[in-house]
Amino acid sequence: MRTVLAFAAALYVSLFITALFTDADISDLGPVARTYAQNGINDVGSANLVTAVIVTYRGLDTLGEVTVLFTASTAIILLLSLHAIARRASPASDIVSLTARVLPAPILLFGLYIIAHGHLSPGGGFPGGAVIASAALLVLLGCAGGVAFAHWLPLAESFAGLSFALLGFWGLLRMTQYLNNSVIPLGVPGNLISAGIIPLISTAIGVKVASELSAILAAFRAKGWEE
Amino acid sequence: MVMIHEHILLGIASVGSLTMIVAAIWALIVRDLLAAIILVGFVSLTASVLFLLMNAPDVAITEASIGAGLSTLIFLWGRARIHES
Repeated sequence: MRTVLAFAAALYVSLFITALFTDADISDLGPVARTYAQNGINDVGSANLVTAVIVTYRGLDTLGEVTVLFTASTAIILLLSLHAIARRASPASDIVSLTARVLPAPILLFGLYIIAHGHLSPGGGFPGGAVIASAALLVLLGCAGGVAFAHWLPLAESFAGLSFALLGFWGLLRMTQYLNNSVIPLGVPGNLISAGIIPLISTAIGVKVASELSAILAAFRAKGWEE
Repeated sequence: MVMIHEHILLGIASVGSLTMIVAAIWALIVRDLLAAIILVGFVSLTASVLFLLMNAPDVAITEASIGAGLSTLIFLWGRARIHES
């Protein structure tokens, strides 16, 4: 047993290190990946190809993914609301409450930055939304009555999800395909305002992911405490 | 990650991935639920460092905030609810 485990670990580490020090050349890519890498910047005008693939080429998959997340969070919140929590949480320690007063603002700003620059630098809607949700987590942990902001979360979530789906129909109105990116001018790749509707969709995904994750956290959190 | 000497990178990567495997197996066999939750969070944290080394900073950010942050806290709060019922 121990030998098998050690062997598996050694195999895993060697595979990982091989992956780490292998530089992919454009000729090593498969036909699909090569097409994206070569034509992406002209097709969609996005400097960050990963976001371009997620939001435009595979935009329909992302819409499905967002739906899965929506269903999951709805189910979690429904299940937890069936058994309301009677217990009140114990007050946060000084360290936690001070951290929860200082850190959420810069974390929130960083999350907004990641979302707004999704088409320029690594990031986009999902990472940015997750970062914003961790700011919400700090507020929930350290502030009495921190759950109060949870009331408008479902509204923000539905609005963002709806705007993602409706932005896709813009392409159909212009007699092209669903989620077509170039319904507005693509602009210069690398500028903040560029890449068609990618920044708009990134923002919608970011708001949706942030409000969903925060709503799940707020549903798990006990009611807070009296100060 | 451009100018760091390759050997240092190799060292961090090997130590990181080995630690991750050990922590993951430990989380499976440990009896204490609290220890298992913290170990799983630690696995996520190591995974996020490894993602960063593999030049995927966006995945690293997501893993650090969701894997190490949110899900650890959700497990902890879930454990508290199990204990009270």
